[in-house]
Amino acid sequence: MENGKNKELFKEKAEAIQTLVSSAATPEVIAAYTVDLTADQGGKTIALAGFDEETLAALLPDLKEKAKAKGIEVLEPPFRPHLENIHTGLTPALWGIAQTGTLVLRSADENLRIATMLAETHVCVLDPATIYPSTDELAPLLDAAIKENGAAYMAFITGPSRTADIERVLSIGVHGPEFLHILFKEEKADD
Amino acid sequence: MIKTPQNMKDYTDQIRATLKEKFLQTTLNNFATSYKASRAKAFSGMDLEALREEIACAKDAALPRLEELLEEFTRHAEADGVKVHFAKTAQEANAIIAAIAKENNVKTIVKSKSMTAEETFLNDHLEKQGLKVTETDLGEWIIQLRHEGPSHMVMPAIHLSRYQVGDLFTGVSGEEQDPENIDKLVKVARKQLRPRFIEADMGISGANFAMADSGAIGIVTNEGNARLTTTLPRVHVTLAGVDKLIPDIKTALTALKGLTRNATGQGITSYVTWIKGQPPCGASEKEVQTRHIVFLDNGRLALAKDPVFSEVLRCIRCGACANVCPIYRILGGHTYGHVYIGAIGLILTFFYHGRDNARAIVKNCLNCQSCKVVCPAKIDLPYLIKKVYREVMDEDGKRPLRNRLLARVMGNRKLFHTLLKNAWMAQAPIADGPKIRHLPTIFGRKHDFRTIPVLAKHPLRDQWSSFKPVVRNPKLKVALFAGCAQDFIYPQQAKDAVTLLASYGVDVDLPMDQTCCGLPLLMMAENETAKEVAEQNLKALDTDRYDYILTLCASCGSHIKENYPKLLQKENAVPEGVKKLEEKIIDFSSFMVNVLKVTADDFRVSGKKVAYHAPCHLCRGLDVVEEPRELMRVAGLDYVPAADEDVCCGFSGSYSVDFPEVSEQLLRRKVANMEATGADIVVTDCPGCVMQISGGMDKHASRMRVCHMAEILREMRKKE
Ligand code: SF4
Ligand code: SF4
Repeated sequence: MENGKNKELFKEKAEAIQTLVSSAATPEVIAAYTVDLTADQGGKTIALAGFDEETLAALLPDLKEKAKAKGIEVLEPPFRPHLENIHTGLTPALWGIAQTGTLVLRSADENLRIATMLAETHVCVLDPATIYPSTDELAPLLDAAIKENGAAYMAFITGPSRTADIERVLSIGVHGPEFLHILFKEEKADD
Repeated sequence: MIKTPQNMKDYTDQIRATLKEKFLQTTLNNFATSYKASRAKAFSGMDLEALREEIACAKDAALPRLEELLEEFTRHAEADGVKVHFAKTAQEANAIIAAIAKENNVKTIVKSKSMTAEETFLNDHLEKQGLKVTETDLGEWIIQLRHEGPSHMVMPAIHLSRYQVGDLFTGVSGEEQDPENIDKLVKVARKQLRPRFIEADMGISGANFAMADSGAIGIVTNEGNARLTTTLPRVHVTLAGVDKLIPDIKTALTALKGLTRNATGQGITSYVTWIKGQPPCGASEKEVQTRHIVFLDNGRLALAKDPVFSEVLRCIRCGACANVCPIYRILGGHTYGHVYIGAIGLILTFFYHGRDNARAIVKNCLNCQSCKVVCPAKIDLPYLIKKVYREVMDEDGKRPLRNRLLARVMGNRKLFHTLLKNAWMAQAPIADGPKIRHLPTIFGRKHDFRTIPVLAKHPLRDQWSSFKPVVRNPKLKVALFAGCAQDFIYPQQAKDAVTLLASYGVDVDLPMDQTCCGLPLLMMAENETAKEVAEQNLKALDTDRYDYILTLCASCGSHIKENYPKLLQKENAVPEGVKKLEEKIIDFSSFMVNVLKVTADDFRVSGKKVAYHAPCHLCRGLDVVEEPRELMRVAGLDYVPAADEDVCCGFSGSYSVDFPEVSEQLLRRKVANMEATGADIVVTDCPGCVMQISGGMDKHASRMRVCHMAEILREMRKKE
């Protein structure tokens, strides 16, 4: 119940900042959505990073097949050689923050960072069960994630890249992705 | 290269030139209006005051521990392979970064925005070493191409028009650019800067937060350039002031809530990035990024220990103190600061860039309190600006003649009051009825933008014994703090108030030993004398004998309430007598509404259309906002809200003498906004504002009458 509220608020806040949010994404839906979107935008490549083994197994073959049918290449990591050539970045988010419509990405993996920074379009999969009301509730988790052994690179992403540096006119897509699409992962019907 | 005028003559020339830049004024004016609305929206539903308090407390707790936090941070960061450096001075910081570049065989550098790097003039230094440095924040890139400094901490190129940027980008890209298409201009930056990111050997970023308990940094941006800067190059250097050190992520998240909302009216920026240790990096042979963090002192550690000034280190660089400043709104950052601009810039310039650069700009403050109430870290900016002004004078070893005279005269009430009375005789030849329409030419034409009232022939104190109404069985006993303006210029305002109050059974006294509240002294940084007169008034007002101390002058009231405790504190504690005075002092509107609880039955229904000017020291100084509006409605007046009602009218005591052109601009806008309401009367609650605005109305041949709330209320009161 509580989580339904977070999900609703998250959606509302994200949509208020030029982000498209859709629900009930199974691996199949994710694959189809990403490929169609890329094709519509005339993109030729998809860079996928950050998914766990299980999701990957369910997602990747399907994604590759759908992509191939539309003449789109699913890039193989590492993405360094493709810096100027990534159209869509497809990644999961670790958490969401409802109050501001913010995605939190565990980004120590360089490929994930490249996929989310250099792409024209970022498609991000978020499990609604991991949405927290505000940074207050998230603080202990974030703290622990940063303090994990080794390097940490945690990214809050809220809407597409933006600037208002010329005459204070809002303009989207200055250095990072111009489009941000969020897919809520299909929720397990256990209640 | 940034050139800031170092004396008043050069500064006045710069101000005159700036006032001719019409685009600048229009754009800053629009910004001021839209900022106000977006900030209010961003904070709606939040307890803003509690948040400000929380941020201020958290920063205050960290400041005395900076060295400790630095040590803790260093321990954690170095355990994760990050090298931490400490730079005593700006030169040292630049040298350290140049050495890191050399050691790592760096040729090209990309930078994301860092005010600290602006402070040290890092780019100049690195370029002199033959390094190629590219700013990647759009605004920073624009000003780098133009060889300018930032004109705003958050929007460095706010002073430029699309046409200027269009021309610049046509040059850079070699293709004709359409200035009307801002989206396309932005894409020019994207296209031009991508290769710079990809080829760069080193990235330099700032940091908004450095968290001691993890050795991680936090960076807050919108464009995404900081993410690229910290990811693509094989070396990443962070330059941050030691004041960015905080204990933990919780403190960072608290400050973040205030920072983004206050800076740009965003709930959060597009990107907030937290980095710890050495992330993987495919461009590096070692497969992890080489990371260095340089903490800059440049006087901060000493500042953190200063009992008065340490507060400035609470600053989280949101830029809001410029956004709301009526002077910034007219002059922009290049004329209102050095590297750091706006209210905080006037202060930091002195500490980070020396007194020569601070000397002229630090005088340019109206004490209007707008910055103080907007600051998310609750820094008392106007007070500290005056303190810096004093430091500059002391270090220069010369207080201007005007200061010395003022201090001498005001320190002695009898002398001061005798001089004021004699002044009435002196001005008689230039007076034209109750106004001085043209000043003698020795004052120069630039002061002639308003008429000035003549001093009253008989000050209030001389009329008092014969005027004072008799109140039998008084409900309340009140002492009037008249202030110089009502005592010597507008005694009628005070008399109207006293007559009105008598009709409510309030007995008013005028304690004769009171003198100037001392605000003009503080404005000229004459703290010692300001303290002396505060002591005199404290004694004269004898709080035990009265239920309230009433003042009709918002400036006196807010000065007594806000600054007396600071001036009169002993061993860091506020004496009981001062606390009592602070509790009992009240402004006229609050007294009428909250104490006497006047009702519509007491007044005639006139339906007179009135506009209202909210004095700085009432709406911000004393935080009285609703009462005057309520009072006008209760009194049967048809109150028509005006644009920028709470923006300073430009009077502010000696300010209008030092900066007549700026004062004139403010007044011109005030008059226009008041006239646009179509009302017949301007009501306000401060004699200083009455003086300034009616002086402006006269010059603009306006038909609007300007009066104090007490005057109009007395007129509206039903006869018994
Ligand atoms: S007190 Fe007013 S004039 Fe002075 S810096 Fe603050 S906002 Fe500007
Ligand atoms: S002084 Fe306050 S308002 Fe000004 S930039 Fe710093 S935090 Fe913001």
